[in-house]
Amino acid sequence: MTNVTLPPLAEGVDKASISFWYKQPGEAVKTGEDLVELVTDKATFNMPSPANGKIKELLVGEGDSAKVGQTIAVIE
Amino acid sequence: MNSLPQWLKKRITINEAFFDTRKTLSELSINTVCESGRCPNISECFSSGSVTFMILGRTCTRSCGFCSVKKTGLPETVDTQEPERIADCIKRLGIKYAVVTSVTRDDLDDGGSGQFVKTVEAIRRAVEDVTVELLIPDLAGDPDPIRSVALSGADVIGHNIETIKRLYPFIRKEADYYRSLGVLRSIKEIDPRVLTKSAILAGLGETKEELLEVMMDLRRVGCDILAVGQYLSPSKENYPVDRFVPPEEFEFYKEAGLDMGFRNVSAAPFVRSSYHAEEEYDKCHAAAFS
Repeated sequence: MTNVTLPPLAEGVDKASISFWYKQPGEAVKTGEDLVELVTDKATFNMPSPANGKIKELLVGEGDSAKVGQTIAVIE
Repeated sequence: MNSLPQWLKKRITINEAFFDTRKTLSELSINTVCESGRCPNISECFSSGSVTFMILGRTCTRSCGFCSVKKTGLPETVDTQEPERIADCIKRLGIKYAVVTSVTRDDLDDGGSGQFVKTVEAIRRAVEDVTVELLIPDLAGDPDPIRSVALSGADVIGHNIETIKRLYPFIRKEADYYRSLGVLRSIKEIDPRVLTKSAILAGLGETKEELLEVMMDLRRVGCDILAVGQYLSPSKENYPVDRFVPPEEFEFYKEAGLDMGFRNVSAAPFVRSSYHAEEEYDKCHAAAFS
């Protein structure tokens, strides 16, 4: 089981918005594959999956924001 | 809800090296412009052990509209141990191409040039075979500080012109367009073997023609290397983005720059002055002594 957490993207920027999930619960995902699109004031980021497996749960919805270090998805 | 164009999506690379780089910087109390400037490339660069050191503290004496570096409060006392710690960090991270920049220190008599010189010296003492690139402030256009930095032993010295003259009152109001060109000219005159470099932020309100004029002005002062990237507003307090320049237009600037005679031009939305600095240097190194 892997908890996918929001990485530190920039100094003084402690949160980001989830703008798009590339995968949905139940879908298979490989390490390095696009997982989620994140938006901060300065840029849009594409975050790849840190692990192989299947999406168990997406904990933050599109349009919502998350804090750095917060778990945003679980891969099993 | 996402108003940024498709091409401005930065792929995050997070691996062990990313956390290792951050840890080393933190342990050695070293500042980077990557962090203070909120560079979107940070995950990519830190994950490959690339950093741009920022010396002379974290408080700048200017108030440039494009920059998120702290501008309020008193600048820190110059840290005499900083050069050694930077050299130590370069050793620990196995850095072969070191980039050192700073905040502007108008409060110091030498503008901070002494610290740049000491940092280069400390790096040379600690590590063999490392290329050193400095990205300097304008040092108030003062000939003595400029001279000492030019003769410091750095391989590449950059000073960013940032934008067109017309926008200086809004973007870089304590600076002077011609003073900045003069810094680049002086370095070349003092030591022609030092490669000079500059960078332009696109999308601040300049026209294509105006940007090309800056490029020509840079060539006139012998600037060797150019970086052109998309201006991204680091916070709501900073100057807004006027336009998102498409990738094809960056390609156009790159071709135009090479035609003008720059040894190397990197131009793309996420390009910054020190982005992939080593690769860009390698591309022109062969031509350097021709």
